[in-house]
Amino acid sequence: MTQTPFRWHRRITPWLFILPTIIGLVVFRLIPIVSSFYLSFTEWNLLRQPAFIGVGNYRELIQSGEFTTVALNTVQFSLLYVVGSMVLGLALAVLIDVQIKGISFYRAAIYLPVVTSAVAVGIVWNWILGPTYGLVSNMIEAVGLSAPYWLSDPKLALNTVATLQVWKMSGYYMIIFLAGLQTINREVLESARIDGANALQSFFSITLPMMMPTFFFVLTITIIDSFKNFELIYAMTKGGPQNASNTLVYDVYLNAFVFYRVGYASAIAYILLLFVGALTIFNFFIKKYFVYSLD
Amino acid sequence: MKRFVVLIVVVSLMGLLFAGGAAEKKSDAITLEWWTWDADMLEANKQIIAQFEKDNPGVTINNTIIPTTEYWTKIRIQANQNRLPDVFTMSSGYIEEWAKEGLVYNLDPFIQGDDTFDLFYKPIFDTSKEISAANHYHTIPFALVTTVLYYNKDAFDKAGLSYPTDDWSWADFRNAARRLTIDKNGDGKIDQWGFTFTGRYAEIEPWVFANNGSFVDRSTMRFKPDKNAMDALKMLTDLVLVDKVAPPQKDMSTFKLEEVFYGEVAAMWVDGSWLTDSFRRNIGNDFRWGFVQIPQGPGGNRITYGWPDSYALAPNTKHPEMAWKFARYVAGEGISLDTYMGGKIPSAKKLAEDPKFADTSIQPGLDMLKLIEQANSPMTTSYTMGWSEWRGYGGSEALGLNGMIDAIINGQMSFDEAMKKGTEGINSVLARYYK
Repeated sequence: MTQTPFRWHRRITPWLFILPTIIGLVVFRLIPIVSSFYLSFTEWNLLRQPAFIGVGNYRELIQSGEFTTVALNTVQFSLLYVVGSMVLGLALAVLIDVQIKGISFYRAAIYLPVVTSAVAVGIVWNWILGPTYGLVSNMIEAVGLSAPYWLSDPKLALNTVATLQVWKMSGYYMIIFLAGLQTINREVLESARIDGANALQSFFSITLPMMMPTFFFVLTITIIDSFKNFELIYAMTKGGPQNASNTLVYDVYLNAFVFYRVGYASAIAYILLLFVGALTIFNFFIKKYFVYSLD
Repeated sequence: MKRFVVLIVVVSLMGLLFAGGAAEKKSDAITLEWWTWDADMLEANKQIIAQFEKDNPGVTINNTIIPTTEYWTKIRIQANQNRLPDVFTMSSGYIEEWAKEGLVYNLDPFIQGDDTFDLFYKPIFDTSKEISAANHYHTIPFALVTTVLYYNKDAFDKAGLSYPTDDWSWADFRNAARRLTIDKNGDGKIDQWGFTFTGRYAEIEPWVFANNGSFVDRSTMRFKPDKNAMDALKMLTDLVLVDKVAPPQKDMSTFKLEEVFYGEVAAMWVDGSWLTDSFRRNIGNDFRWGFVQIPQGPGGNRITYGWPDSYALAPNTKHPEMAWKFARYVAGEGISLDTYMGGKIPSAKKLAEDPKFADTSIQPGLDMLKLIEQANSPMTTSYTMGWSEWRGYGGSEALGLNGMIDAIINGQMSFDEAMKKGTEGINSVLARYYK
């Protein structure tokens, strides 16, 4: 039996197809991940070669009061974002899971902020929330109340930015929840209705448990997304006032690209990785119990 | 046969390539890379390059303009890879660090051997040299920028006040600010503030230096504001907290800084002279405006807050003579005021002494001559290594000393608390750079 002339071609074909992706992953992900781990043990201002300083950056981080503030801000932002996005995303999905005239318009309108530039969103909301001529402030003042300084009050700035991030991204999670909702067997809901269950009982006893796989998928991605908060902070508060809205991601940017402390920024990035990693592992751990209990 | 034809084609192409390279070598072609950050200068730069290339056959200039937000990251990477452009814009804020790292060409041999100081103002070169904390000239300044007190002439006329003068005291200034703070419609809200400021460097340091004060003790390189500096800060913060003639920073946070002045929300404002161009564009003939020097404080001799914007040469440029020739040309020798940015003081004598520099047909007219006066007066800055971190600049503008001063005028911290906290933070930054 003779080998066909193109036999070799068949063996290498799949590798050829995935090669661009592998090259991209290695060059733009793997090498930077490994390099930044090494850099986190160095002092590097980009001008000279990195100087190895052992755990100096990590020691400085632990001893820095500023870092503690930034880490706590990150946790606060994440908590607000994850809870807010899941509740709002699910609520919106339930609301638009109907067949009424113009539903596509509503779905598109809710999704629109997701595809709008975060910097543009930040600038527009800066105007809306502005203390002197801002729409919201003027409306509050029109009813005789005094408007807060949404972005300049250290107690409010982080919450304001996190809320806007929730507003911006909820449409994305809404779509995923909507897909989950539409996989639920309508006959089960119909039977419950015939058995006398009201809308709330159906939602909490049937819809939500059957949505658990989707719920945990969204929980995982909201946790990961909650740490990607750079753009709005850059456009709206620049980490201020007095570090009140500074988060780990913004601190990485400041140290790497404003202060040129690349080693220190890499150490912050690895602390951030620990945060995200721990939460994701925890998420997978609890998912086993909640999702499998349905089977 | 087919292989033979392919071989012939490849060899021919390679031959052509080498022939091209040889031709280039014969004509001594020189290509210079020139990096700048001012996108507004794109057209002007094209004109400058066209003229230089015409005057110097065989020389090609490639101009790369990168916005300031990315410029320093990219050029640092170029420096790290020994691939710095032949001529590049250098900030006074970084020159000390770059000189220390040996990343800028020592220009002494050129300057000592030619007529540079006949064509350019030597004091501006000396200021740059002083800021670089080196014993050599490392930059060729193309401009000096200072800070001035901008004022709205129409607002002064309406308030029945005479215009500010260069010999104004702080008392004169405060008195005018009070009379210019007006609730026009009687709704209990101020419609026109006498003055406005934030914690930004160009709005604070001018007052500190106009009171003969200093932030940094240069012998120890630690943040240690002297009494004159503290008096200046107290005077400024009192304008918001006590006199109520300037708004808290949080009330103006929606505005771009200069909008507060050209939007007629405040009648006086201190910032960089480089904003002249922006005011010419944005104010037009909506109202009349001018500027004077920063009012002198009671602390003694006024020192001007200003610094040069410069060009530097790569230490490993292959064409140092031509790079120097081009740097001098583009710094002023070969250009006219038509291709020069407004509000900056030219370091080239022919530009600064051109009657069109203080063109009376455009605002602020003869006030532009005050900039030349400032250029000849004692001058200083607050630059140190790590300045952008401790001062709060660019992406960190809400932090550092900037953030602390904003916290005082926003009523979020007391003066003493903010200065104590600020000093600790600033010195922890300086301690990293000056061990």
